[in-house]
Amino acid sequence: MLQSVKPRRWVVVLYLLIPVALFIFSVFVPLLTALYFSFFEWKNGQSIYTATYNGLTNYKQLIADPIFWQSFGNNIYLVVACIIGQIGLAFVLVLFANSKLAVGKAVHRTFGFFPSTISAVCIGLIWSIIFHSKYGLLNWFVVNVLGGTKQAWLGDSSHVMLYVSIPLIWQFIGYYMVILFSAIAGIDQQIFESAEIDGANGFQTAIHITLPMIRSTMLVCLTLCVAGNMKAFDSIWTMTAGGPGYASYVMALYGYTVSFQQSNMGYGSAISIGIFVLSLLVIGGSRLLVNRMTRGLEE
Amino acid sequence: MTTVKKAAASNFTPAGKKPGRGAGYYVGKVLINIVLWVFSLSCIFPLVWMGYSSLKLKRQFNADVISIPWGTATLQNYKDILGNPDYHLAESMWNSCRTTVISIVCIVLFSFIVGYILSRIRFKLNRPLYVMFLMGMLIPIHSLLVPMYVLFRNLGMHNQWYTLLFPYIAFGLPMGIFLVEGYVKGIPVSLEEAAAIDGSSFSRTLWSIIMPMCRPILVTVAIIQVFSCWNEFSFALCLIQNVHLQTVPLALTQFKGQFGSDYPLQMTAMLITMSPIVVLYFAFSNQIIKGMVAGAVKG
Repeated sequence: MLQSVKPRRWVVVLYLLIPVALFIFSVFVPLLTALYFSFFEWKNGQSIYTATYNGLTNYKQLIADPIFWQSFGNNIYLVVACIIGQIGLAFVLVLFANSKLAVGKAVHRTFGFFPSTISAVCIGLIWSIIFHSKYGLLNWFVVNVLGGTKQAWLGDSSHVMLYVSIPLIWQFIGYYMVILFSAIAGIDQQIFESAEIDGANGFQTAIHITLPMIRSTMLVCLTLCVAGNMKAFDSIWTMTAGGPGYASYVMALYGYTVSFQQSNMGYGSAISIGIFVLSLLVIGGSRLLVNRMTRGLEE
Repeated sequence: MTTVKKAAASNFTPAGKKPGRGAGYYVGKVLINIVLWVFSLSCIFPLVWMGYSSLKLKRQFNADVISIPWGTATLQNYKDILGNPDYHLAESMWNSCRTTVISIVCIVLFSFIVGYILSRIRFKLNRPLYVMFLMGMLIPIHSLLVPMYVLFRNLGMHNQWYTLLFPYIAFGLPMGIFLVEGYVKGIPVSLEEAAAIDGSSFSRTLWSIIMPMCRPILVTVAIIQVFSCWNEFSFALCLIQNVHLQTVPLALTQFKGQFGSDYPLQMTAMLITMSPIVVLYFAFSNQIIKGMVAGAVKG
Protein backbone atom coordinates (compact mmCIF):
# COMPACT_ATOMS: atom_id res chain seq x y z
CA MET A 1 0.00 0.00 0.00
CA LEU A 2 1.08 3.50 -0.76
CA GLN A 3 2.16 5.63 2.17
CA SER A 4 4.38 8.39 0.84
CA VAL A 5 1.80 9.75 -1.60
CA LYS A 6 -1.36 9.33 0.42
CA PRO A 7 -3.93 11.60 -1.19
CA ARG A 8 -6.32 13.72 0.82
CA ARG A 9 -9.50 11.98 1.84
CA TRP A 10 -11.86 14.15 -0.19
CA VAL A 11 -9.95 13.39 -3.36
CA VAL A 12 -10.50 9.65 -2.89
CA VAL A 13 -14.13 10.17 -1.97
CA LEU A 14 -14.67 12.32 -5.03
CA TYR A 15 -13.15 9.73 -7.32
CA LEU A 16 -15.13 6.84 -5.84
CA LEU A 17 -18.44 8.66 -5.51
CA ILE A 18 -19.89 8.21 -9.01
CA PRO A 19 -18.92 4.57 -9.68
CA VAL A 20 -19.93 3.35 -6.24
CA ALA A 21 -23.22 5.27 -6.25
CA LEU A 22 -24.05 4.02 -9.74
CA PHE A 23 -23.27 0.45 -8.80
CA ILE A 24 -25.37 0.51 -5.64
CA PHE A 25 -28.20 2.23 -7.46
CA SER A 26 -28.26 -0.31 -10.31
CA VAL A 27 -27.66 -3.52 -8.36
CA PHE A 28 -28.69 -3.26 -4.73
CA VAL A 29 -31.52 -0.74 -4.86
CA PRO A 30 -33.53 -2.76 -7.44
CA LEU A 31 -33.10 -5.88 -5.33
CA LEU A 32 -34.42 -4.13 -2.23
CA THR A 33 -37.29 -2.63 -4.22
CA ALA A 34 -38.21 -6.07 -5.51
CA LEU A 35 -38.02 -7.51 -2.04
CA TYR A 36 -40.40 -4.79 -0.86
CA PHE A 37 -42.93 -5.22 -3.65
CA SER A 38 -42.85 -8.99 -3.41
CA PHE A 39 -45.07 -8.55 -0.35
CA PHE A 40 -47.69 -6.63 -2.34
CA GLU A 41 -50.50 -7.45 -4.67
CA TRP A 42 -49.77 -5.24 -7.65
CA LYS A 43 -51.45 -6.25 -10.88
CA ASN A 44 -52.80 -5.19 -14.25
CA GLY A 45 -50.96 -1.91 -14.53
CA GLN A 46 -52.53 -0.40 -11.43
CA SER A 47 -50.73 2.52 -9.88
CA ILE A 48 -48.00 1.69 -7.43
CA TYR A 49 -49.83 3.68 -4.74
CA THR A 50 -52.85 1.40 -4.85
CA ALA A 51 -50.82 -1.80 -4.50
CA THR A 52 -52.02 -3.66 -1.42
CA TYR A 53 -49.91 -5.44 1.15
CA ASN A 54 -50.63 -9.16 1.15
CA GLY A 55 -47.88 -10.60 3.29
CA LEU A 56 -46.38 -13.87 2.20
CA THR A 57 -49.14 -14.73 -0.30
CA ASN A 58 -46.83 -14.28 -3.31
CA TYR A 59 -44.21 -16.55 -1.80
CA LYS A 60 -46.75 -19.22 -0.92
CA GLN A 61 -47.93 -19.08 -4.51
CA LEU A 62 -44.34 -19.30 -5.74
CA ILE A 63 -43.52 -22.39 -3.72
CA ALA A 64 -46.63 -24.14 -5.03
CA ASP A 65 -46.15 -22.93 -8.62
CA PRO A 66 -45.42 -25.94 -10.87
CA ILE A 67 -44.41 -23.76 -13.82
CA PHE A 68 -41.76 -21.97 -11.78
CA TRP A 69 -40.26 -25.25 -10.65
CA GLN A 70 -40.44 -26.63 -14.15
CA SER A 71 -38.53 -23.54 -15.34
CA PHE A 72 -35.96 -24.12 -12.63
CA GLY A 73 -35.67 -27.75 -13.76
CA ASN A 74 -35.11 -26.56 -17.34
CA ASN A 75 -32.31 -24.28 -16.12
CA ILE A 76 -30.68 -27.25 -14.43
CA TYR A 77 -31.19 -29.31 -17.60
CA LEU A 78 -29.38 -26.61 -19.58
CA VAL A 79 -26.55 -26.48 -17.05
CA VAL A 80 -25.99 -30.24 -17.25
CA ALA A 81 -26.39 -30.38 -21.03
CA CYS A 82 -23.95 -27.53 -21.51
CA ILE A 83 -21.37 -28.90 -19.09
CA ILE A 84 -21.34 -32.16 -21.04
CA GLY A 85 -21.79 -30.58 -24.46
CA GLN A 86 -19.67 -27.45 -24.21
CA ILE A 87 -16.80 -28.44 -21.95
CA GLY A 88 -16.77 -32.12 -22.98
CA LEU A 89 -16.85 -31.47 -26.72
CA ALA A 90 -14.46 -28.55 -26.38
CA PHE A 91 -11.98 -30.81 -24.60
CA VAL A 92 -12.20 -33.49 -27.30
CA LEU A 93 -11.88 -30.93 -30.10
CA VAL A 94 -8.91 -29.27 -28.41
CA LEU A 95 -7.15 -32.62 -28.11
CA PHE A 96 -7.84 -33.28 -31.79
CA ALA A 97 -6.63 -29.85 -32.83
CA ASN A 98 -3.49 -30.17 -30.70
CA SER A 99 -2.53 -33.55 -32.13
CA LYS A 100 0.15 -33.62 -34.78
CA LEU A 101 -2.35 -34.95 -37.28
CA ALA A 102 -4.57 -31.86 -37.33
CA VAL A 103 -4.32 -29.27 -40.07
CA GLY A 104 -5.08 -25.58 -39.52
CA LYS A 105 -5.22 -25.16 -35.73
CA ALA A 106 -5.28 -21.35 -35.94
CA VAL A 107 -8.26 -21.46 -38.31
CA HIS A 108 -10.22 -23.71 -35.95
CA ARG A 109 -9.51 -21.29 -33.12
CA THR A 110 -10.66 -18.21 -35.05
CA PHE A 111 -13.69 -19.83 -36.66
CA GLY A 112 -14.72 -21.74 -33.55
CA PHE A 113 -14.68 -18.66 -31.37
CA PHE A 114 -16.73 -16.62 -33.82
CA PRO A 115 -20.27 -17.67 -32.71
CA SER A 116 -19.63 -16.57 -29.14
CA THR A 117 -19.16 -12.97 -30.31
CA ILE A 118 -22.57 -12.89 -31.99
CA SER A 119 -25.64 -11.81 -30.06
CA ALA A 120 -27.79 -14.61 -28.68
CA VAL A 121 -30.75 -13.07 -30.51
CA CYS A 122 -29.04 -13.60 -33.86
CA ILE A 123 -28.11 -17.15 -32.88
CA GLY A 124 -31.72 -17.76 -31.87
CA LEU A 125 -33.10 -16.34 -35.11
CA ILE A 126 -30.67 -18.33 -37.26
CA TRP A 127 -31.48 -21.54 -35.46
CA SER A 128 -35.21 -20.97 -35.65
CA ILE A 129 -34.76 -20.88 -39.43
CA ILE A 130 -32.68 -24.06 -39.25
CA PHE A 131 -35.34 -25.74 -37.08
CA HIS A 132 -38.30 -24.35 -39.06
CA SER A 133 -40.96 -26.98 -39.55
CA LYS A 134 -41.68 -26.06 -43.18
CA TYR A 135 -38.69 -24.37 -44.78
CA GLY A 136 -36.00 -25.26 -42.26
CA LEU A 137 -32.50 -26.37 -43.12
CA LEU A 138 -32.69 -29.36 -40.82
CA ASN A 139 -35.85 -30.61 -42.50
CA TRP A 140 -34.26 -30.04 -45.89
CA PHE A 141 -31.39 -32.24 -44.73
CA VAL A 142 -33.69 -34.88 -43.25
CA VAL A 143 -35.82 -35.08 -46.39
CA ASN A 144 -33.20 -34.77 -49.13
CA VAL A 145 -30.19 -36.48 -47.58
CA LEU A 146 -31.56 -38.92 -45.02
CA GLY A 147 -34.80 -39.57 -46.87
CA GLY A 148 -36.97 -39.04 -43.78
CA THR A 149 -40.05 -36.94 -43.20
CA LYS A 150 -40.35 -33.37 -41.96
CA GLN A 151 -40.44 -32.81 -38.21
CA ALA A 152 -41.78 -29.93 -36.15
CA TRP A 153 -38.58 -29.68 -34.11
CA LEU A 154 -39.40 -26.81 -31.78
CA GLY A 155 -43.04 -27.82 -31.60
CA ASP A 156 -42.24 -31.15 -29.95
CA SER A 157 -42.83 -30.48 -26.27
CA SER A 158 -41.09 -33.60 -24.99
CA HIS A 159 -37.80 -32.92 -26.82
CA VAL A 160 -37.84 -29.16 -27.16
CA MET A 161 -35.29 -28.62 -24.38
CA LEU A 162 -32.82 -30.85 -26.19
CA TYR A 163 -33.26 -28.92 -29.45
CA VAL A 164 -33.08 -25.58 -27.67
CA SER A 165 -29.85 -26.52 -25.92
CA ILE A 166 -28.09 -27.43 -29.17
CA PRO A 167 -27.62 -23.80 -30.33
CA LEU A 168 -26.54 -22.84 -26.79
CA ILE A 169 -23.95 -25.61 -26.73
CA TRP A 170 -22.75 -24.92 -30.25
CA GLN A 171 -22.40 -21.19 -29.65
CA PHE A 172 -19.90 -21.52 -26.80
CA ILE A 173 -17.85 -24.63 -27.69
CA GLY A 174 -15.25 -22.41 -29.34
CA TYR A 175 -15.12 -20.18 -26.27
CA TYR A 176 -14.24 -23.07 -23.99
CA MET A 177 -11.89 -24.47 -26.63
CA VAL A 178 -9.83 -21.30 -26.52
CA ILE A 179 -9.65 -21.37 -22.71
CA LEU A 180 -8.53 -25.01 -22.82
CA PHE A 181 -6.04 -24.29 -25.61
CA SER A 182 -4.25 -21.77 -23.44
CA ALA A 183 -4.33 -24.10 -20.43
CA ILE A 184 -2.82 -26.99 -22.40
CA ALA A 185 -0.20 -24.69 -23.93
CA GLY A 186 0.95 -24.03 -20.35
CA ILE A 187 1.80 -27.70 -19.72
CA ASP A 188 5.44 -28.68 -20.02
CA GLN A 189 5.86 -30.39 -23.41
CA GLN A 190 8.40 -32.86 -21.96
CA ILE A 191 5.62 -34.59 -20.06
CA PHE A 192 3.87 -35.44 -23.32
CA GLU A 193 7.13 -36.55 -24.88
CA SER A 194 7.95 -38.92 -22.04
CA ALA A 195 4.41 -40.27 -22.10
CA GLU A 196 4.80 -40.97 -25.79
CA ILE A 197 8.13 -42.74 -25.19
CA ASP A 198 6.48 -44.83 -22.49
CA GLY A 199 3.98 -45.93 -25.08
CA ALA A 200 0.84 -44.11 -23.91
CA ASN A 201 -1.74 -43.71 -26.65
CA GLY A 202 -3.68 -40.52 -27.25
CA PHE A 203 -6.62 -41.58 -25.11
CA GLN A 204 -4.46 -42.54 -22.14
CA THR A 205 -2.49 -39.30 -22.39
CA ALA A 206 -5.71 -37.29 -22.41
CA ILE A 207 -7.23 -38.98 -19.36
CA HIS A 208 -4.15 -39.51 -17.20
CA ILE A 209 -1.98 -36.54 -18.10
CA THR A 210 -3.80 -33.67 -19.82
CA LEU A 211 -6.96 -33.77 -17.73
CA PRO A 212 -5.25 -33.75 -14.30
CA MET A 213 -2.80 -31.06 -15.44
CA ILE A 214 -5.54 -28.61 -16.47
CA ARG A 215 -7.85 -29.42 -13.57
CA SER A 216 -8.06 -25.88 -12.24
CA THR A 217 -8.92 -24.47 -15.67
CA MET A 218 -11.57 -27.15 -16.07
CA LEU A 219 -13.12 -26.04 -12.80
CA VAL A 220 -13.10 -22.40 -13.96
CA CYS A 221 -14.94 -23.54 -17.10
CA LEU A 222 -17.40 -25.40 -14.93
CA THR A 223 -18.29 -22.33 -12.86
CA LEU A 224 -18.56 -20.20 -16.01
CA CYS A 225 -20.87 -22.77 -17.52
CA VAL A 226 -23.13 -22.93 -14.46
CA ALA A 227 -23.41 -19.15 -14.12
CA GLY A 228 -23.95 -18.72 -17.87
CA ASN A 229 -26.81 -21.17 -18.09
CA MET A 230 -28.68 -20.06 -14.99
CA LYS A 231 -29.26 -16.78 -16.84
CA ALA A 232 -30.35 -18.34 -20.14
CA PHE A 233 -32.99 -16.10 -21.68
CA ASP A 234 -32.19 -14.43 -25.02
CA SER A 235 -31.92 -17.31 -27.43
CA ILE A 236 -34.80 -19.26 -25.88
CA TRP A 237 -36.99 -16.17 -25.99
CA THR A 238 -36.22 -15.81 -29.70
CA MET A 239 -36.54 -19.48 -30.61
CA THR A 240 -39.60 -20.72 -28.71
CA ALA A 241 -40.63 -17.94 -26.30
CA GLY A 242 -40.99 -20.77 -23.78
CA GLY A 243 -43.29 -22.89 -25.87
CA PRO A 244 -44.87 -25.17 -26.76
CA GLY A 245 -46.97 -24.57 -23.67
CA TYR A 246 -44.50 -24.11 -20.85
CA ALA A 247 -42.14 -26.83 -22.08
CA SER A 248 -39.07 -24.66 -22.65
CA TYR A 249 -39.59 -22.01 -19.98
CA VAL A 250 -36.54 -20.97 -17.98
CA MET A 251 -36.69 -18.93 -14.77
CA ALA A 252 -35.81 -15.52 -16.21
CA LEU A 253 -38.33 -16.04 -19.00
CA TYR A 254 -41.07 -16.95 -16.55
CA GLY A 255 -40.33 -13.87 -14.44
CA TYR A 256 -40.51 -11.77 -17.59
CA THR A 257 -43.79 -13.31 -18.75
CA VAL A 258 -45.53 -12.93 -15.41
CA SER A 259 -44.37 -9.33 -15.00
CA PHE A 260 -44.83 -7.99 -18.48
CA GLN A 261 -47.30 -10.16 -20.36
CA GLN A 262 -49.56 -10.97 -17.42
CA SER A 263 -48.59 -7.59 -15.87
CA ASN A 264 -48.46 -9.02 -12.37
CA MET A 265 -45.60 -7.01 -10.91
CA GLY A 266 -46.06 -8.12 -7.32
CA TYR A 267 -45.78 -11.80 -8.16
CA GLY A 268 -43.08 -10.98 -10.72
CA SER A 269 -41.02 -9.39 -7.95
CA ALA A 270 -41.45 -12.48 -5.80
CA ILE A 271 -40.29 -14.63 -8.73
CA SER A 272 -37.26 -12.38 -9.15
CA ILE A 273 -36.34 -12.89 -5.51
CA GLY A 274 -36.86 -16.61 -6.05
CA ILE A 275 -34.54 -16.54 -9.09
CA PHE A 276 -32.01 -14.59 -7.06
CA VAL A 277 -31.99 -17.07 -4.19
CA LEU A 278 -32.01 -20.21 -6.34
CA SER A 279 -29.33 -18.98 -8.76
CA LEU A 280 -27.16 -17.86 -5.89
CA LEU A 281 -27.56 -21.26 -4.27
CA VAL A 282 -26.69 -23.14 -7.46
CA ILE A 283 -23.81 -20.85 -8.50
CA GLY A 284 -22.46 -20.47 -4.97
CA GLY A 285 -22.93 -24.18 -4.27
CA SER A 286 -21.06 -25.20 -7.40
CA ARG A 287 -18.25 -22.74 -6.60
CA LEU A 288 -17.96 -24.07 -3.07
CA LEU A 289 -17.88 -27.62 -4.37
CA VAL A 290 -15.25 -26.69 -6.94
CA ASN A 291 -13.12 -24.90 -4.33
CA ARG A 292 -13.29 -27.88 -2.02
CA MET A 293 -12.35 -30.19 -4.88
CA THR A 294 -9.34 -28.10 -5.88
CA ARG A 295 -8.17 -27.74 -2.30
CA GLY A 296 -8.43 -31.49 -1.71
CA LEU A 297 -6.44 -32.17 -4.82
CA GLU A 298 -3.67 -29.72 -4.11
CA GLU A 299 -2.87 -31.16 -0.72
CA MET B 1 27.38 -48.02 -41.18
CA THR B 2 25.03 -45.60 -39.45
CA THR B 3 22.37 -45.79 -42.13
CA VAL B 4 22.34 -49.54 -41.86
CA LYS B 5 21.90 -49.33 -38.12
CA LYS B 6 19.04 -46.86 -38.44
CA ALA B 7 17.28 -49.01 -40.98
CA ALA B 8 17.69 -52.05 -38.78
CA ALA B 9 16.38 -50.19 -35.75
CA SER B 10 13.29 -49.01 -37.57
CA ASN B 11 12.59 -52.57 -38.66
CA PHE B 12 12.35 -53.65 -35.09
CA THR B 13 10.14 -50.79 -33.93
CA PRO B 14 6.54 -51.96 -33.38
CA ALA B 15 4.33 -50.49 -36.08
CA GLY B 16 1.97 -48.78 -33.64
CA LYS B 17 4.69 -46.75 -32.01
CA LYS B 18 6.03 -45.24 -35.16
CA PRO B 19 3.47 -42.66 -36.28
CA GLY B 20 3.32 -41.77 -39.90
CA ARG B 21 3.55 -45.24 -41.40
CA GLY B 22 0.56 -47.51 -40.77
CA ALA B 23 -2.88 -47.32 -42.38
CA GLY B 24 -4.29 -46.44 -38.94
CA TYR B 25 -2.34 -43.22 -39.05
CA TYR B 26 -4.04 -42.05 -42.21
CA VAL B 27 -7.49 -43.12 -41.03
CA GLY B 28 -6.90 -41.24 -37.78
CA LYS B 29 -5.64 -38.19 -39.58
CA VAL B 30 -8.63 -38.09 -41.90
CA LEU B 31 -11.13 -38.65 -39.08
CA ILE B 32 -9.64 -36.03 -36.79
CA ASN B 33 -9.53 -33.45 -39.54
CA ILE B 34 -13.07 -34.21 -40.67
CA VAL B 35 -14.40 -33.70 -37.13
CA LEU B 36 -12.46 -30.47 -36.68
CA TRP B 37 -13.35 -29.00 -40.03
CA VAL B 38 -17.02 -29.92 -39.73
CA PHE B 39 -17.11 -28.04 -36.44
CA SER B 40 -15.15 -25.01 -37.65
CA LEU B 41 -17.15 -24.71 -40.84
CA SER B 42 -20.41 -25.05 -38.93
CA CYS B 43 -19.35 -21.99 -36.93
CA ILE B 44 -18.79 -19.92 -40.01
CA PHE B 45 -21.56 -21.46 -42.10
CA PRO B 46 -24.41 -19.25 -40.81
CA LEU B 47 -22.49 -16.19 -41.94
CA VAL B 48 -21.98 -17.61 -45.44
CA TRP B 49 -25.52 -18.91 -45.62
CA MET B 50 -26.96 -15.56 -44.57
CA GLY B 51 -24.61 -13.82 -46.98
CA TYR B 52 -25.93 -15.48 -50.11
CA SER B 53 -29.46 -15.96 -48.85
CA SER B 54 -29.79 -12.21 -48.37
CA LEU B 55 -29.50 -11.98 -52.16
CA LYS B 56 -32.56 -14.18 -52.64
CA LEU B 57 -36.23 -13.31 -52.55
CA LYS B 58 -38.65 -14.87 -50.11
CA ARG B 59 -40.19 -17.00 -52.83
CA GLN B 60 -36.85 -18.44 -53.89
CA PHE B 61 -35.77 -19.05 -50.32
CA ASN B 62 -38.93 -20.89 -49.34
CA ALA B 63 -38.64 -23.08 -52.42
CA ASP B 64 -35.07 -24.06 -51.64
CA VAL B 65 -33.32 -23.00 -48.42
CA ILE B 66 -29.81 -23.98 -49.38
CA SER B 67 -29.29 -23.19 -53.06
CA ILE B 68 -27.01 -20.38 -54.16
CA PRO B 69 -28.80 -17.77 -56.27
CA TRP B 70 -26.55 -17.95 -59.35
CA GLY B 71 -27.68 -15.35 -61.82
CA THR B 72 -30.83 -14.47 -59.90
CA ALA B 73 -29.08 -12.55 -57.12
CA THR B 74 -30.85 -9.35 -56.19
CA LEU B 75 -30.20 -6.50 -53.78
CA GLN B 76 -33.94 -6.02 -53.24
CA ASN B 77 -33.76 -7.00 -49.54
CA TYR B 78 -31.08 -4.41 -48.85
CA LYS B 79 -33.11 -1.75 -50.66
CA ASP B 80 -36.24 -2.71 -48.71
CA ILE B 81 -34.56 -2.63 -45.35
CA LEU B 82 -32.45 0.46 -45.75
CA GLY B 83 -35.16 2.35 -47.61
CA ASN B 84 -38.01 1.62 -45.22
CA PRO B 85 -37.89 3.66 -42.00
CA ASP B 86 -40.46 1.34 -40.39
CA TYR B 87 -37.76 -1.19 -39.68
CA HIS B 88 -35.81 1.31 -37.52
CA LEU B 89 -32.61 -0.48 -38.41
CA ALA B 90 -30.36 2.54 -38.89
CA GLU B 91 -31.92 4.13 -35.82
CA SER B 92 -31.31 1.02 -33.72
CA MET B 93 -27.71 0.84 -34.86
CA TRP B 94 -27.20 4.43 -33.83
CA ASN B 95 -28.78 3.68 -30.44
CA SER B 96 -26.58 0.64 -29.96
CA CYS B 97 -23.48 2.56 -30.98
CA ARG B 98 -24.19 5.42 -28.59
CA THR B 99 -25.02 3.12 -25.69
CA THR B 100 -22.00 0.90 -26.33
CA VAL B 101 -19.51 3.75 -26.69
CA ILE B 102 -20.68 5.66 -23.61
CA SER B 103 -20.86 2.47 -21.55
CA ILE B 104 -17.36 1.41 -22.52
CA VAL B 105 -15.81 4.80 -21.83
CA CYS B 106 -17.48 4.85 -18.41
CA ILE B 107 -16.62 1.24 -17.60
CA VAL B 108 -12.96 1.68 -18.54
CA LEU B 109 -12.68 4.97 -16.66
CA PHE B 110 -14.49 3.81 -13.53
CA SER B 111 -12.78 0.40 -13.46
CA PHE B 112 -9.44 2.14 -13.71
CA ILE B 113 -10.17 4.61 -10.90
CA VAL B 114 -11.80 2.12 -8.53
CA GLY B 115 -9.38 -0.69 -9.34
CA TYR B 116 -6.39 1.55 -8.72
CA ILE B 117 -7.71 3.01 -5.49
CA LEU B 118 -8.75 -0.39 -4.12
CA SER B 119 -5.34 -1.79 -4.91
CA ARG B 120 -3.17 1.07 -3.62
CA ILE B 121 -4.91 3.31 -1.11
CA ARG B 122 -5.51 2.14 2.44
CA PHE B 123 -8.74 3.46 3.95
CA LYS B 124 -11.48 2.17 6.17
CA LEU B 125 -13.96 1.28 3.43
CA ASN B 126 -11.42 -0.45 1.21
CA ARG B 127 -12.35 -4.04 2.13
CA PRO B 128 -16.12 -3.45 2.31
CA LEU B 129 -16.05 -1.88 -1.17
CA TYR B 130 -13.95 -4.74 -2.48
CA VAL B 131 -16.40 -7.29 -1.14
CA MET B 132 -19.32 -5.31 -2.53
CA PHE B 133 -17.93 -5.40 -6.07
CA LEU B 134 -17.02 -9.04 -5.61
CA MET B 135 -20.65 -9.71 -4.73
CA GLY B 136 -21.59 -7.90 -7.92
CA MET B 137 -19.89 -10.70 -9.83
CA LEU B 138 -21.75 -13.41 -7.95
CA ILE B 139 -25.19 -11.82 -8.05
CA PRO B 140 -27.30 -13.44 -10.76
CA ILE B 141 -27.99 -10.31 -12.77
CA HIS B 142 -30.94 -11.78 -14.64
CA SER B 143 -32.87 -11.71 -11.37
CA LEU B 144 -32.65 -7.90 -11.64
CA LEU B 145 -34.67 -7.73 -14.88
CA VAL B 146 -38.05 -7.09 -13.30
CA PRO B 147 -36.76 -5.25 -10.20
CA MET B 148 -34.86 -2.80 -12.36
CA TYR B 149 -37.92 -2.17 -14.49
CA VAL B 150 -40.02 -1.53 -11.37
CA LEU B 151 -37.47 0.89 -9.95
CA PHE B 152 -36.86 2.73 -13.21
CA ARG B 153 -40.54 3.04 -13.96
CA ASN B 154 -41.24 4.53 -10.57
CA LEU B 155 -38.47 7.04 -11.11
CA GLY B 156 -39.55 7.73 -14.69
CA MET B 157 -36.17 6.53 -15.89
CA HIS B 158 -37.29 3.79 -18.29
CA ASN B 159 -37.60 4.57 -22.00
CA GLN B 160 -34.90 7.21 -21.96
CA TRP B 161 -31.81 7.37 -24.12
CA TYR B 162 -29.65 6.92 -21.02
CA THR B 163 -31.69 4.10 -19.40
CA LEU B 164 -29.52 1.21 -20.56
CA LEU B 165 -26.29 2.88 -19.48
CA PHE B 166 -27.09 2.08 -15.84
CA PRO B 167 -27.27 -1.73 -16.10
CA TYR B 168 -24.51 -1.98 -18.69
CA ILE B 169 -22.02 0.10 -16.72
CA ALA B 170 -22.94 -1.47 -13.39
CA PHE B 171 -22.65 -5.05 -14.67
CA GLY B 172 -19.43 -4.34 -16.52
CA LEU B 173 -17.72 -2.71 -13.54
CA PRO B 174 -16.90 -5.70 -11.28
CA MET B 175 -14.88 -7.64 -13.84
CA GLY B 176 -13.12 -4.47 -15.00
CA ILE B 177 -12.25 -3.50 -11.44
CA PHE B 178 -10.76 -6.89 -10.67
CA LEU B 179 -8.73 -6.98 -13.86
CA VAL B 180 -7.32 -3.49 -13.14
CA GLU B 181 -6.76 -4.26 -9.47
CA GLY B 182 -4.74 -7.35 -10.29
CA TYR B 183 -2.78 -5.50 -12.93
CA VAL B 184 -1.92 -2.51 -10.72
CA LYS B 185 -0.55 -4.89 -8.08
CA GLY B 186 2.14 -5.82 -10.60
CA ILE B 187 3.30 -2.22 -11.04
CA PRO B 188 6.08 -1.25 -8.58
CA VAL B 189 5.03 1.33 -5.98
CA SER B 190 8.41 3.05 -6.26
CA LEU B 191 7.15 4.58 -9.49
CA GLU B 192 4.45 6.56 -7.72
CA GLU B 193 6.79 7.42 -4.88
CA ALA B 194 9.30 8.87 -7.32
CA ALA B 195 6.51 10.89 -8.94
CA ALA B 196 5.40 12.18 -5.52
CA ILE B 197 8.96 13.23 -4.64
CA ASP B 198 9.11 15.13 -7.90
CA GLY B 199 6.02 16.99 -6.78
CA SER B 200 3.34 15.26 -8.83
CA SER B 201 -0.11 15.36 -7.27
CA PHE B 202 -2.23 12.21 -6.79
CA SER B 203 -4.45 13.00 -9.76
CA ARG B 204 -1.55 13.85 -12.02
CA THR B 205 0.23 10.61 -11.16
CA LEU B 206 -3.02 8.71 -11.71
CA TRP B 207 -3.74 10.08 -15.17
CA SER B 208 -0.33 10.69 -16.67
CA ILE B 209 1.77 7.88 -15.17
CA ILE B 210 -0.44 5.00 -14.09
CA MET B 211 -3.05 5.18 -16.84
CA PRO B 212 -0.61 4.80 -19.75
CA MET B 213 0.96 1.85 -17.94
CA CYS B 214 -2.43 0.17 -17.55
CA ARG B 215 -3.26 0.47 -21.23
CA PRO B 216 -3.10 -3.26 -22.05
CA ILE B 217 -5.54 -4.21 -19.33
CA LEU B 218 -7.86 -1.30 -20.15
CA VAL B 219 -7.95 -2.45 -23.77
CA THR B 220 -8.87 -5.93 -22.56
CA VAL B 221 -11.71 -4.51 -20.46
CA ALA B 222 -12.95 -2.51 -23.44
CA ILE B 223 -12.86 -5.52 -25.77
CA ILE B 224 -14.91 -7.67 -23.41
CA GLN B 225 -17.49 -4.95 -22.99
CA VAL B 226 -17.86 -4.08 -26.68
CA PHE B 227 -19.36 -7.49 -27.31
CA SER B 228 -21.47 -7.73 -24.19
CA CYS B 229 -22.96 -4.23 -24.64
CA TRP B 230 -23.62 -4.54 -28.36
CA ASN B 231 -25.24 -7.96 -27.94
CA GLU B 232 -27.15 -7.41 -24.69
CA PHE B 233 -30.82 -8.19 -25.07
CA SER B 234 -32.78 -8.95 -21.90
CA PHE B 235 -32.39 -5.60 -20.14
CA ALA B 236 -33.08 -3.72 -23.36
CA LEU B 237 -36.25 -5.79 -23.77
CA CYS B 238 -37.49 -4.95 -20.28
CA LEU B 239 -36.45 -1.32 -20.01
CA ILE B 240 -37.06 0.01 -23.53
CA GLN B 241 -40.54 0.01 -25.04
CA ASN B 242 -40.12 3.03 -27.29
CA VAL B 243 -39.31 1.81 -30.82
CA HIS B 244 -37.14 4.85 -31.44
CA LEU B 245 -34.82 3.87 -28.59
CA GLN B 246 -34.49 0.20 -29.50
CA THR B 247 -31.04 -1.33 -29.64
CA VAL B 248 -30.00 -3.72 -32.38
CA PRO B 249 -30.99 -7.06 -30.77
CA LEU B 250 -34.37 -5.58 -29.92
CA ALA B 251 -34.91 -4.29 -33.45
CA LEU B 252 -34.06 -7.73 -34.82
CA THR B 253 -36.81 -9.42 -32.83
CA GLN B 254 -39.46 -7.46 -34.73
CA PHE B 255 -38.54 -9.56 -37.77
CA LYS B 256 -39.55 -12.64 -35.84
CA GLY B 257 -43.17 -11.67 -35.29
CA GLN B 258 -44.26 -9.05 -37.73
CA PHE B 259 -42.35 -10.21 -40.79
CA GLY B 260 -41.99 -13.74 -39.51
CA SER B 261 -41.98 -15.61 -42.74
CA ASP B 262 -39.69 -13.38 -44.80
CA TYR B 263 -36.45 -15.08 -43.86
CA PRO B 264 -34.15 -13.56 -46.48
CA LEU B 265 -35.23 -10.13 -45.29
CA GLN B 266 -34.57 -11.15 -41.69
CA MET B 267 -31.15 -12.50 -42.66
CA THR B 268 -30.32 -9.27 -44.44
CA ALA B 269 -31.19 -7.31 -41.31
CA MET B 270 -29.02 -9.58 -39.17
CA LEU B 271 -26.16 -9.31 -41.61
CA ILE B 272 -26.30 -5.52 -41.65
CA THR B 273 -26.42 -5.23 -37.87
CA MET B 274 -23.74 -7.88 -37.38
CA SER B 275 -21.35 -6.29 -39.83
CA PRO B 276 -19.52 -3.99 -37.35
CA ILE B 277 -18.91 -6.91 -34.98
CA VAL B 278 -17.86 -9.27 -37.75
CA VAL B 279 -15.40 -6.78 -39.25
CA LEU B 280 -14.00 -6.01 -35.81
CA TYR B 281 -13.69 -9.68 -34.99
CA PHE B 282 -11.88 -10.79 -38.13
CA ALA B 283 -9.61 -7.74 -38.09
CA PHE B 284 -8.47 -8.23 -34.49
CA SER B 285 -9.41 -11.84 -33.76
CA ASN B 286 -6.20 -12.62 -31.91
CA GLN B 287 -6.40 -9.71 -29.48
CA ILE B 288 -10.14 -10.22 -29.03
CA ILE B 289 -9.84 -13.92 -28.26
CA LYS B 290 -6.97 -13.30 -25.85
CA GLY B 291 -8.79 -10.46 -24.12
CA MET B 292 -12.08 -12.26 -23.70
CA VAL B 293 -10.42 -15.38 -22.35
CA ALA B 294 -8.21 -13.41 -19.96
CA GLY B 295 -11.33 -11.71 -18.63
CA ALA B 296 -13.15 -14.99 -18.21
CA VAL B 297 -10.34 -16.83 -16.46
CA LYS B 298 -9.11 -14.06 -14.19
CA GLY B 299 -12.56 -12.64 -13.55
